[in-house]
Amino acid sequence: MTTTNTGTTAYTTTDVPVGVQHGHGLASGQKTSAMTNHALEAKAIAKSYVIGGQSRPVLDGIDFHVDPGECVFLAGPSGSGKTTLLSILGLLLTSDSGQLLLKGRRVDGLTEVERTLVRRERIGFVFQRFQLINGLTAEDNVSIPLTMDGMPLREARDRAGALLCRMGLEDHRKALPTSMSPGQCQRVALARAVINEPELILADEPTAALDGKSGQAVMELLHQLTKEFASSTVVVTHDPRIYQYADRICEMENGKFK
Amino acid sequence: MRWNLAYRTLFHDRGKLIAGLVGVIFSVVLVNIQGGLFFGLVNKASMLVDRSNADIWIGHRGMHNVDFAHPIPERYRYTVAGVEGVAEVQPLKLQFVNMALPGGKYQQVLLVGVAESTNLGRAYSIVDGPQDAINRNDAIVLDRCDDDKLDSPQVGELREVNGRRVRVAGKSNGILNFLVTPYVFANYDDAIEIGGSNPLETSYLLVRLAPNADCQRVCRDIRTLLPELDVMTSDQYASLSINHWITRTGLGLSFGAATLLGLLVGLVMVGQTLYAMVLDRVGEYATLRAIGLDERELLSILAFQSALVASIGIAIGMGITIILKTLLSSPKATIEIPLMLYVGCGVLIFAICLFAAGLPYLRVRRIDPHTALQS
Ligand SMILES: Nc1ncnc2c1ncn2[C@@H]1O[C@H](COP(=O)(O)OP(=O)(O)OP(=O)(O)O)[C@@H](O)[C@H]1O
Ligand SMILES: [Mg+2]
Repeated sequence: MTTTNTGTTAYTTTDVPVGVQHGHGLASGQKTSAMTNHALEAKAIAKSYVIGGQSRPVLDGIDFHVDPGECVFLAGPSGSGKTTLLSILGLLLTSDSGQLLLKGRRVDGLTEVERTLVRRERIGFVFQRFQLINGLTAEDNVSIPLTMDGMPLREARDRAGALLCRMGLEDHRKALPTSMSPGQCQRVALARAVINEPELILADEPTAALDGKSGQAVMELLHQLTKEFASSTVVVTHDPRIYQYADRICEMENGKFK
Repeated sequence: MRWNLAYRTLFHDRGKLIAGLVGVIFSVVLVNIQGGLFFGLVNKASMLVDRSNADIWIGHRGMHNVDFAHPIPERYRYTVAGVEGVAEVQPLKLQFVNMALPGGKYQQVLLVGVAESTNLGRAYSIVDGPQDAINRNDAIVLDRCDDDKLDSPQVGELREVNGRRVRVAGKSNGILNFLVTPYVFANYDDAIEIGGSNPLETSYLLVRLAPNADCQRVCRDIRTLLPELDVMTSDQYASLSINHWITRTGLGLSFGAATLLGLLVGLVMVGQTLYAMVLDRVGEYATLRAIGLDERELLSILAFQSALVASIGIAIGMGITIILKTLLSSPKATIEIPLMLYVGCGVLIFAICLFAAGLPYLRVRRIDPHTALQS
């Protein structure tokens, strides 16, 4: 299901020059001049940090977009700004300048409370180190996003349990994160990210803490689920073993796309 | 879910939870026992009044403490008896006298003369000896709690008070005053004789009201008839006697300060534990913020955890307090915990725990959801 369409595209679509791709009025942008149909679009994102007393640009006018159902990988050397970009896309961090549109609606400039709500309802996160809540069972961890939306705990647990079963974790539904392997933890974390069927899933090096096989399994699941829910996905990774799951790979260097 | 999250994470870290609970329990027990000892002590200052069976106390102008009485004319009792609503009036004589001890030493005692054939002013109850002990000739009643001060007098033993021989006819248990001076009860006439005082004078007139009589009105009527005397209800005189000691000795201040310190120590312990718990979980809180929990919800989790620690701690603390109280309270060191103290202490400590959650709140407020990606 996955390898057929990605096997070839993965390596060929690497690194389309971004400036050209997203310039206004070009091929893809034409029919939606006022409103794009990208799931996520970032325009001229800039961000600098003060390091050692002087301001250093970390992101330097980034243009980026993800289409509905598309899975884009962000690759590049350490320190090139991948995590920073992902944070800005996920409304965890505000950019110094530039625009951010989610389904054509501006989401930069929202208040903290509004941004929190957007994250809750529309974005799923997968972290390098899983970031599960240690006091909660796998099932309860996965239930968090559902219950935040007001679903009763019992119902949320049922749905979380069903999803965990799909992920091959039926025996670990009641397990605490400390008693699970990294691969299992990341699958739980993945379940937590997708249970709400968010429009956008952001993953920062989801396989970096896993061995090759677990990494493959996690990516396989991510791929299946995002296709099923038609979620767009952005994955930051260093791991060439999983490039096959990408629809497109964007390589960053010094705060820009190569 | 938030509640599930709050208590699961709280109970996940048992060590910290116990540390927090210890803080709360410590505060509860300390405040209650301190307060109980305080009330036990100060209530001794009014014991004679509380147990006098009288409704109204009449004494010299400016009377402020039951143990320090000035003479008033005894004949006023007839005036008082004529007031409507008064069922009975009896004089009560208080006088400091010396009792000779077997070894040749002396002990100052407070001789209380109680009129025969009445229970007005009869604050003691006999636990050793005949019930009518005081009505025998030259008889006195002592208290067991004063045994070491009075060289363990036995019932039937002869003693010398102010140079007069008297017989220990009975003993009570637990009638003490705020001073170190033991009470010695005697028949009214004997007391006048032993003390060598003027029989036309007495210390107090105690009034028992007729059923359904209006206490305030009777007091007012007596005041109009005897403007040179003070007239108070028993409750008024009891609290006046207590206040006298609390304010004159600075007792209230020192007990209050100690209690405050206990509260403070508890507060710091609870605050610190909650803070340590939060520090341990900053990463988790950042994750929760990242996946969409807002600051208010995070705060409510903290508040809920504090409230939970407080409630469990207060419940256990109250239990320990009650056990300690039954084990440790004695007539000499009475622990008297009024319901108001339990309730007040519980409410106060609950409030303090919520306040203590403010410390971790300051940390949680600074949690940047962005750090979830960086760790
Ligand atoms: N909070 C911060 N304060 C100051 N500088 C920061 C901060 N976060 C990131 N940086 C800087 O921004 C640059 C890009 O960091 P970022 O984490 O985005 O890199 P990355 O591409 O994700 O690297 P890696 O592959 O190692 O995770 C780095 O040079 C880093 O030093
Ligand atoms: Mg990174």
